Amino acid sequence: MNAPERNLKLSLRRTGELAGIVRVNEEIKAIVATAFRINLMALNAIFLAKRAGNAALGFGVLSNELRRFAQDLTRHMSSLRDMTSGSVGSVTGVVQQQRNSAILAEAIRQSGDGVPGVREARKRGATRLAEQQAKLRALDLRLRAAVEETQQLVELGGVLARSAKIEAAYGGGFSPALMQVSTDFAEVIAQIKRSLEVLGKERLVKD
Amino acid sequence: MKQAHCIYQDNEHRWLAIARDPSKPGYIIDTNEYVIVDGEEALLCDPGGIEIFPAVFSALSAECDPTKLAGIFASHQDPDIISSLALWLEFKPDLKCYTSWLWQSFLPHFGGTDSTFVPIPDPGMTIKVGGLELQAIPAHYLHSSGNHHLYDPKAKILFSGDVGAALLPPDQNGLYVEDFSRHIRHAEGFHKRWMGSDRAKRDWCERVSRLDIDMLVPQHGGIYRGADVQRFINWFAALEVGVLRG
Repeated sequence: MNAPERNLKLSLRRTGELAGIVRVNEEIKAIVATAFRINLMALNAIFLAKRAGNAALGFGVLSNELRRFAQDLTRHMSSLRDMTSGSVGSVTGVVQQQRNSAILAEAIRQSGDGVPGVREARKRGATRLAEQQAKLRALDLRLRAAVEETQQLVELGGVLARSAKIEAAYGGGFSPALMQVSTDFAEVIAQIKRSLEVLGKERLVKD
Repeated sequence: MKQAHCIYQDNEHRWLAIARDPSKPGYIIDTNEYVIVDGEEALLCDPGGIEIFPAVFSALSAECDPTKLAGIFASHQDPDIISSLALWLEFKPDLKCYTSWLWQSFLPHFGGTDSTFVPIPDPGMTIKVGGLELQAIPAHYLHSSGNHHLYDPKAKILFSGDVGAALLPPDQNGLYVEDFSRHIRHAEGFHKRWMGSDRAKRDWCERVSRLDIDMLVPQHGGIYRGADVQRFINWFAALEVGVLRG
């Protein structure tokens, strides 16, 4: 194996982390799009409840709550996105440091350990790498905590969607239309739950 | 594996040429790196790309203490010249990199911080290494728009970057130019295409002809010695440059 091939192999070790960040970003984008959809659906549901009058008062209140939920969810996702943008820099820092350290190690291997200055250079590199890895680990913990918090919020969204379904049953002549809206709510929230499960499984740092 | 060859020595003043790497993959252009040592200090000229760093480092370490490296001279900004900068800094974070002011904010993309770079003004400057006073000689537009060569008046050696470069076939990989007429055929296409300004070329030839040069050491190909130095300058002065073909 020649030097460029060795270097490529070394840098490939971290591409898993970068691919992980891409997957996290894609899930976040999907959830943001869904939150936008819930917001619009809730607006429509509010108008529908107004048309239904007294029979859909409860449904109207829940639609308002669902709209607020969609806005909260968008805020959560935006902070998650900020975290992942920061993590691209951290992962890249680790990749660069690992690559440099590995190439330097190869140079030292070819030269022999007796070359002056190599021990210090190795030590400096290892310290820098440990610092960057610690930074990445802390970011990973924050990301996981934020995903868990969002999962709790989405649980609440699920409860709201189920309650809307119950209220829809009391909607008189508007009941079928309200039922359809509440079923749609439940479906999109289930979709968000699935995306959050994927997010929860992603790790910026492999254990 | 690259090897360091001593091409000049006067007591503690040495020039090392790190040249020819048979283990290097064919898709990477072969490069020459030069180390100027004087006493306790050394300067590395055009240290090369990332991929050849291990080979250059080990060749250098075999002949000289790498902690003596005080600086790097980058004739211009190309990746085969200086993309290994971050790795040299990984080894020695306080290294200085001397390069044209034009590239001062471009080279940090390869590595280094504000304190790494020593900008060379357009007319050139003196670079001290040990007790030596090396001269950064302007060679702008040959081929880079911010380009310097390095002259050692004591050793009478001119490091000429890409000027004098030849893309040699594998069977002609000697360290020195032995047969000028045969050698220069491998330099012609390179100079026609890569040297963009006829005016800059004539100006360089006039200035360099006035220097006392025993060896002209390019970044690719063989080293010109003795009469071949002026032969090369004359050849270059007459060559039509900045052309695609012909």
